[in-house]
Amino acid sequence: MADEANLLTLPSPPFDSISQVKFSPTNPDHLLVASWDTHTRLYEIGEKGGKESEAKAKFDHRAAVLTCCFSDGSHGYSGGLDTAVRELDLTTESVKVLGNHGGPVSTMTWSKESGALVTGSWDRTVRLWDPRSSTPPQSTLSAPERIYQLDIVNNTLVVAMASRLFHIYDIRNMEKPAQERESSLKYMTRSLACMPSGEGYATASVEGRIAVEYFEPTPEAQEKKYAFKCHRQTIDDVDHVWPVNALAFHPTYNTFASGGSDGTVSIWDHKVKKRLRQYPKFNNAIASLAFSCDGTKLGIALSYMWDDGDAGLKTAERPSIVVRKLGDEVKPKTWPGN
Amino acid sequence: MGKKKNKQLLRPWCWYCEREFEDEKVLMQHQKAKHFKCGMCPRRLNTAGGLAVHIQQVHKLEPENLPRIENALPGRDGYEVEIFGMVGIPAPDVADYKRRKEIELGLSAGSISQPPQKKAKIENKVYSEEELKAQLQAHKALMGVSSSPEKPPAPESSAVYGAPPQAYAAPPVPASMMPPPGIMPPMHMSMGSPFPPGPSPPIPPGPPGLIPPFPPHVPGLPPGLPPGLSIDPAFPPGVPNLPPGISPGPTPPVPPGISPPPGVISPFAPPIHGMPPGPPPPGLNPAFPAPGLARPPIPPPSGWPPGGAPVLPPPQFIPASQQQPSAPPHSAQSQLDGNASSRPTQLTLPNPALSQTNPEFKKPTDLKYKDPNFAPEEHRGIHPKYYYHAKPTDGATAVAEESKGKKRARAEDFL
Repeated sequence: MADEANLLTLPSPPFDSISQVKFSPTNPDHLLVASWDTHTRLYEIGEKGGKESEAKAKFDHRAAVLTCCFSDGSHGYSGGLDTAVRELDLTTESVKVLGNHGGPVSTMTWSKESGALVTGSWDRTVRLWDPRSSTPPQSTLSAPERIYQLDIVNNTLVVAMASRLFHIYDIRNMEKPAQERESSLKYMTRSLACMPSGEGYATASVEGRIAVEYFEPTPEAQEKKYAFKCHRQTIDDVDHVWPVNALAFHPTYNTFASGGSDGTVSIWDHKVKKRLRQYPKFNNAIASLAFSCDGTKLGIALSYMWDDGDAGLKTAERPSIVVRKLGDEVKPKTWPGN
Repeated sequence: MGKKKNKQLLRPWCWYCEREFEDEKVLMQHQKAKHFKCGMCPRRLNTAGGLAVHIQQVHKLEPENLPRIENALPGRDGYEVEIFGMVGIPAPDVADYKRRKEIELGLSAGSISQPPQKKAKIENKVYSEEELKAQLQAHKALMGVSSSPEKPPAPESSAVYGAPPQAYAAPPVPASMMPPPGIMPPMHMSMGSPFPPGPSPPIPPGPPGLIPPFPPHVPGLPPGLPPGLSIDPAFPPGVPNLPPGISPGPTPPVPPGISPPPGVISPFAPPIHGMPPGPPPPGLNPAFPAPGLARPPIPPPSGWPPGGAPVLPPPQFIPASQQQPSAPPHSAQSQLDGNASSRPTQLTLPNPALSQTNPEFKKPTDLKYKDPNFAPEEHRGIHPKYYYHAKPTDGATAVAEESKGKKRARAEDFL
């Protein structure tokens, strides 16, 4: 199949489920991968027929890693069940513990604007860390619920929590949330991604549905928000509905990719409310998605998502990481120059 | 804090399903769409009464065959109460909601709800003989002694005390009898209340026939104390964190229904902040090592081979993490810490008031992930294969430990 040519499977994948993949902000070939096998790995992606892909660095943790992110090209961060927030030096492979949360660290993101690491935990706090300072955490914010997802664009930080709660902060004023919202989706929030354009964010639930929301609180802007169904299939008159585990925005085209436990990845143009592409189905759930900084690659983490508890583990496929080379399918049809 | 926050906290909410909304307009739209929608045609009505009339007249259904109001909480799916946005919500439900909201938000009692129940009127006057008789009869009726076949006449004065039992299940606990905040109620029930102590009967004495919406949320029972109650060290112990302008008052409105069960420290007793409440839910070990204690000599979770137990090197404190103890103790943390010896077998909601339920599907649907309250990762995190008992000082020793090459069982051992 011609499509296979665009797919590259990385060597020596994690031994257990992947929790998150993140591309380097400067090097489109560097991919950071957090896994339940207690490791965070850095991969360098090669070419088909050219340089081989390889695992460049591996960081050991005391428990499963749930989240990771980059700050610059040579530093990463990770957090997980052991509650510690670690700074990973990707060139020397050294680790520094910045501090701890009161519970597992579930999500993190790097704020370019304020040079701070933002972490969220099931301990119902969001913490900001200044890695240069010797006394992190800089600040701790209490939230009403367990933090599931965080994402940031410019100075706007979106915090997605359990019980379908959302808080939107201005990173320059973290005293209190600028907005408090309830998810427009009726089921548990599963994933979140902010638009690179800074207008809003997309969020998805366990019930195969994605909502596109806007920051602007004015009624006109809020009227534009919408939600749609996806990652589902009707078999014998029964709707099978999978969680949407991953969302990622393309850095330049402002389109986004979604991945579900059904094993499909779709590309959406949220402006015209159209699906641009659905890629052939994988035989494993999509755990995480990330676009490379130049927008030419999509990193796809495939692994069992614990949707059926440990019972599902027996039949689960082994985890793998696939990198897809992207073509024009991620470009909106109306993009100038088309 | 204080007032401003309150305004923002008390958003319009729907009586039928207790959802909160940005403003009342949205709430009304919600009610039209969710509760006042006719099941037989696309019509949406403005009120429950309107819907009842519509169904009776358009669809020719007898009043007794009216479908219950859709998507409503149990007990709130009837047509008796005319709700329009926030208008028409029965007062006890409002008070109850506010009280739950306070608990949920960790505000001190009374900061949202103003003195919720009027002080029972006790008039200092000489009762006439008829009044006394009436009261005696009422009392007898209340105690189940039917001395006279006819109902006791409703007295003109002292509305509550003389009321026949069907008007009020119990006289509202006279406010003045509640202990002031900061003092543990000796027994939550003040005299005269027929309620047994404990978390049993639901919230305030509502109008008869109205089933209270929720099983009472027992604050303090789950280890997660509401934020602010347990974690706010800014407030000196003994002083309830009341917003300025609102007097601590003699009225911490601990309604009978939601006072903690005996043995549980009242959340209104600040000196014991941060302690895990008495009887923990099943699966949670009450052991609660003080932060900084050495790892208890208890075998690690079953998923670990015996040799894999982490051996702590002499702690090498990184100054940064020394700051940690200043971080407020959190419920999630206390959950973890409380589990020194045993892995939790089930997850506990930190804030039961926010508990979610998945809405029903219209079509036959196979939802692949069904738990509305916990993410799959949370379930996975307490599985023996992955469970990790975190200690507050972990971060400090983590690096040293890892560099020693003493590693826990690897995931590949299990594959």
